[in-house]
Amino acid sequence: MTVPLGAYVAVSAVLFFIGCAGVLTRRNAVVILMCVELMLNAANLALVAFSRKYGSIDERGSVFVVFVFVVAAAEVAVGLAIILSAYRNRPEVNVDEIHQMKG
Amino acid sequence: MTFDFVEPVVFALLSIGVIAGGAAVVLLNRITAAALLMAFTFLCMAGMFVLLGAETIAAFQVLIYVGAITVLILYGVMFTKFSDGPRALFFQKQTPIAAVFVAAVAIPVALFSFTFTSAPPRPGGGDLPALATSVFTDFAFPFEIASVLLLAAMVGAIALTRRDDPEEAAMRRRR
Amino acid sequence: MPVGPFGIDPFIWAPLRLIIAVGLALFLVLNGALLQIYLERKIQAIIQDRLGPYHVGPFGLLQTFADALKLISKEDVRAKATDGWFFVAAPALVFCPMLASWVVLPFARDIVGTDLDIGLLYLTTLGSMTVLGIVIAGWASNNKYALVGGLRSAGQLISYEIPQILALVSVALVVGSLSMIDITRSQPGPFVNVLVLPFSFVIYFISALAETNRTPFDLPEAESELVAGWLTEYSGMRWGTMLALSEYGNVTVVCGIITTLWFGGWQGPGVDAIPLLGVLWFTLKVYAFIVVMMWIRATLPRLRIDQLMSFCWKGLIPMALVNIVAVATLALAFPDTLVPIAIANWVLVIVFIAGIPFVQRRRLATLRARARASTAPAVRAAS
Repeated sequence: MTVPLGAYVAVSAVLFFIGCAGVLTRRNAVVILMCVELMLNAANLALVAFSRKYGSIDERGSVFVVFVFVVAAAEVAVGLAIILSAYRNRPEVNVDEIHQMKG
Repeated sequence: MTFDFVEPVVFALLSIGVIAGGAAVVLLNRITAAALLMAFTFLCMAGMFVLLGAETIAAFQVLIYVGAITVLILYGVMFTKFSDGPRALFFQKQTPIAAVFVAAVAIPVALFSFTFTSAPPRPGGGDLPALATSVFTDFAFPFEIASVLLLAAMVGAIALTRRDDPEEAAMRRRR
Repeated sequence: MPVGPFGIDPFIWAPLRLIIAVGLALFLVLNGALLQIYLERKIQAIIQDRLGPYHVGPFGLLQTFADALKLISKEDVRAKATDGWFFVAAPALVFCPMLASWVVLPFARDIVGTDLDIGLLYLTTLGSMTVLGIVIAGWASNNKYALVGGLRSAGQLISYEIPQILALVSVALVVGSLSMIDITRSQPGPFVNVLVLPFSFVIYFISALAETNRTPFDLPEAESELVAGWLTEYSGMRWGTMLALSEYGNVTVVCGIITTLWFGGWQGPGVDAIPLLGVLWFTLKVYAFIVVMMWIRATLPRLRIDQLMSFCWKGLIPMALVNIVAVATLALAFPDTLVPIAIANWVLVIVFIAGIPFVQRRRLATLRARARASTAPAVRAAS
């Protein structure tokens, strides 16, 4: 008895939409960043699962996961830098309150 | 009697961990707890990668997500004091729209995903050689671009958060 | 019915093996910590011309047992303002990755938890998880010193991970495998890896000192400025788990990695005849490095935090990158022989060691010039 591929994909989809809901509803910039990480990770799971089924010889799906890791690391570094420099100008991490640039 | 029953059991535990952890990140108001549960979600996800036979990806997952990204986010949490307050999740204008949107897309996708019924084949001898061969042959150019992206991100992060040292600025003015 | 090792049914053997392995690792960690604390105190005492512990048992050997008993029987003190279950979870978060690292350490030819083909990657992964526990401990203690210690520790550990991994990469390049067993097998007899890759050994050793919070890099728990850093609010067995078990366990793991990668692991005279002799050789080599680390602790003063960071980012990482480029290029150019790599690496070691005085002198000169420039106007105004 083994786990079907669909189960992995379903878990991935559920996690992706949990992250999506978080990005849409949470107001704290740091939490939004965390939810984006969750979404990226969910995508990774789907990529690895499909790589198992359709390309297990050369691991192309897994290669793409490696690039997602790179993008996630870069994103979190720059994202936190932006949050911190915005916080320095005005101590606020609620994204609804950061609207000085609004015309 | 064999160990066949272990895999579904482990998978069930891990998927409960992933989904519960992810839901807690979205629902909890204590941001440090959310960050730690995010690390827990990432760990369970690494377990799923191991189940899929992608140990190298699992190791990278723990190395990058748990070891680096969670710690960075905790840094961000500690440097920014905030009061997210009870209004963070409920009683705001986006919540119904978000719920409708997510439900409308999530339910069909989750149902559709169960059309993939075949079990994924397990490769023998680990995924490291195949992964390394792919990265350094077919994907060598994207790999280089990824490294440039990381460098740009590093320089950008330093440039964004750098505060001019008042002492050094005074020195420069004097010169 | 299939028959596994020792004539035991594999269905029983698999969980039995797990229990035996975990039990052995716990036993080794607990006893290693006791022994290393005793060694640490005794060696520092010898270097500082003191006696060290000598009251309890012969040569004070039972002193650490007495200390451990005291720690276990201590009251479980938790400050009211600490952060609930974070405070309790942090010691476990530090301890578990360390314990899991023991799975891939090869003690002798067949005495290894499991031979993962990504063994080296697995070890670095677990090493990076320790940071999380330390940051959580610093945050949960709700104490300025602990928070500063935790943040310092996170910065230090993440930074020093980079030269550490880069040093491991050069070994993987030369050996062509990440499995700890293959790496050990690739260096038979006297031709151990340190003769070929001395520079990556130097880089790894320095960054391992920082990774395990040993002096001169023990800033996260610098007594003179931060009380006890992220350990300030911990006492009793929580402190014991965090400091004694995890730190000394990490030291052992790191020394085990050094032994396996650069010094031939369990290989030594007489191992082919009696395989169990490998355990002895491995342990002796590991403890030799532990003693060197203690010697360094008694010798070198602590760095400042900015010195620590600039040493990593401006010194170790560029040198490690140069090392990787040199090793990779030479491995491609001369696929049959390791001699060019060895020559390049020894040259790099000499440059590194000889370069330190020059860099120090230039740094001192600029510091003096800056000090003169900033005090000069004040002096002029006063006179």
